Amino acid sequence: MQTLMEKLQILADSAKYDVSCSSSGSHRKNTGNIGNAHTAGICHSWSADGRCISLLKVLFSNKCVYNCEYCVNRRSNDFPRASFEPDELARLTIEFYRRNYIEGLFLSSAVEVSPDRTAERILESLRLLRYKYGFSGYIHAKIIPGVSQELLHEIGLVADRLSVNIEMPTARSLQTFAPQKKPKEIFAPMRQITNSLIERNSLKGPGNMFRGIAVNAPEHYLKGFSQGIEEKDKAGGSRADSDTQDSITAVSSARPLSRNRRRQGEDFAPAGQTTQMIIGAGGETDQSILNTSESLYRTFKMKRVYYSAYVPVVDSPMLPTRKTAPPLAREHRIYQADWLLRFYGFSVKELFTEKSQNLDPDLDPKVTWALRNLDQFPVEVNRASYDTLMRIPGIGAVSARRIVRQRRLSAVKFDDLKKMGVVLKRAKYFLTCSGRYYGEKRFEPEVIRNAILQMENGLQMSLFDDQWNRLEEGPRQEKLSAAGLL
Amino acid sequence: MQDYLYDGTFEGFLTCVYHHYYTEQAAGICLKEEYQPSLLGGFQEVHTDLEKADRVYQAIRRKISYMDLRRIYKCFLSTVPDKEMILLRYIVLGFHIGSGISKLHGNPDVFAAQEIEKKINVEAERMRQFVRFSVMQGDILYARIEPDHDVLELIGDHFSDRFRNDPFLIHDVCRGKAMAGYQGKWYITSFAENDVPEESEEEKEYQTLWQKYFDHIAIKERKNSNCQRNFMPLRYRKHLTECQMR
Repeated sequence: MQTLMEKLQILADSAKYDVSCSSSGSHRKNTGNIGNAHTAGICHSWSADGRCISLLKVLFSNKCVYNCEYCVNRRSNDFPRASFEPDELARLTIEFYRRNYIEGLFLSSAVEVSPDRTAERILESLRLLRYKYGFSGYIHAKIIPGVSQELLHEIGLVADRLSVNIEMPTARSLQTFAPQKKPKEIFAPMRQITNSLIERNSLKGPGNMFRGIAVNAPEHYLKGFSQGIEEKDKAGGSRADSDTQDSITAVSSARPLSRNRRRQGEDFAPAGQTTQMIIGAGGETDQSILNTSESLYRTFKMKRVYYSAYVPVVDSPMLPTRKTAPPLAREHRIYQADWLLRFYGFSVKELFTEKSQNLDPDLDPKVTWALRNLDQFPVEVNRASYDTLMRIPGIGAVSARRIVRQRRLSAVKFDDLKKMGVVLKRAKYFLTCSGRYYGEKRFEPEVIRNAILQMENGLQMSLFDDQWNRLEEGPRQEKLSAAGLL
Repeated sequence: MQDYLYDGTFEGFLTCVYHHYYTEQAAGICLKEEYQPSLLGGFQEVHTDLEKADRVYQAIRRKISYMDLRRIYKCFLSTVPDKEMILLRYIVLGFHIGSGISKLHGNPDVFAAQEIEKKINVEAERMRQFVRFSVMQGDILYARIEPDHDVLELIGDHFSDRFRNDPFLIHDVCRGKAMAGYQGKWYITSFAENDVPEESEEEKEYQTLWQKYFDHIAIKERKNSNCQRNFMPLRYRKHLTECQMR
């Protein structure tokens, strides 16, 4: 018999490759015995890898019948196995929560016996936590693909956030690496969650873009949906023909269950849904990864897509070897691009060209975009619209708002920009202040590019080529000297 | 022009502001205990007068804005040197400009206050993150903190709503006071080391569980101490359960 200590260690080890740990987006009040949810979320600690610990992130069980290539819990991996008892887990959560260690619980699980069996166990633990212990803190529940609609609905009523992992950015790589997971089984629960949220008038959508008018209107109910992610790639994010394509999936089943719940005031996943995919396991380009995210945002209006740099945890002939370092720089650039989609009004199409289907390893995607579109710059900060300000590298939502606020009273001077939080080392090449330009003498992409690289100190730069392969010392030196950094 | 000495309370500070307008302009506003007389100019001790303080308080609220009153109070909780004069200049400018003052991000006086407020907000957020309770005998939650700024009262509502049915104590060790909360209400009282209750029996076990969890949740291949330190500065780790030696 394993002790609680052993189980916690094993099941934390199994859960840690899941990225999401946010506790934001819920407004749950303390109606029970203990706990509430802080809208902005609270991180309570940071582990040695610098990732925040907000929720107690564990698997309910890591005894898996699936055998996904990339996963540490795959059936064929020699790894210690354990399962919690529902009451044991609920009590542990409460005790950690009382000590202010955590904001709540993140509960996922390996597929033990079948998806439904697993979901039942998860539901049992969450109900204990909510009703027996009166816990009103944050709960993030992972939905296993292939789960029945009724169970998903019941879990949604006790959880704050739901997530179904898409795992791989294309249907082809999903087929290769996780043959037991079917795209259809992944999209069905996603669709059901979105529909339930629309039904309850509580779909908020990702960031502040993609919002459109009245996303909660009945015409946004998702009906049929193309079966694979690949079709979406071809469609380039547009969803025009998907409804006709997929009349096979039962339209009626897409309706949310039991409408009367709403009247009882029961929240269904108030913090919405998220998903995550692995970066650098299959051979996808950044463009196809972000295309998938964009269509997930457009279609399901999910709060976030998480990206997880693949850490080689198992030996598989199809995957990078155990010695490969996780592609952290690439993950970082993809996150930057994801923010551009959700908060800055960019589309994936703008971020890539025919030639470059990957993000620039050396510069952030906003600078890269600006350098390709220099004809739209420099922008006069005292006149440009808020949306245009947001497109200037080095200006974000806070500084753009401050500029707009101040200039109603008095003109914004160059010296003010720094105090407003503008990152001048990037921004100064792309703006004018009362007609004056403060950047380099020559307004050309290469000149500005090199100037910014020198400012940002080329040390981290140029470790990668444009296919995200690690560069040898020789080519790296060449690249550095071409940028005038040597 | 002369220096005003006050007793360190917010009302005392507001009384100084009153005298700045109705008696003589202030060259400096300082704490009574810490004051070192300068060669030039005199100084005067200001006796806190609640009526005068209230007049300034209401004037700020009416003529500037409620938001700025909050900002001034928050900044007053900081330990930034010379915060009194920064705030006085902010108030003077505020009476001149009115409710638009917080929009003047480029103005040096507004910028200074804005930066102090940011520090206070960050510190309060850090306390919400890093308070670590121990369960003591009698099921009382007890935590020790040492914040740079006096933010104890800013976190009261958060914890008293969250732990409505657990009596809790948050002990500000360096200022010798504590917040006591129960059933959704809280108050701040002076508190000494020998008031600390005894730890309960199972406390150590949960601390060890948490430490083990903390060690195991990290992905070794992604180790990044710089990032960890940025979010969790070393000075807070003294009271963090997961950062204790083991």
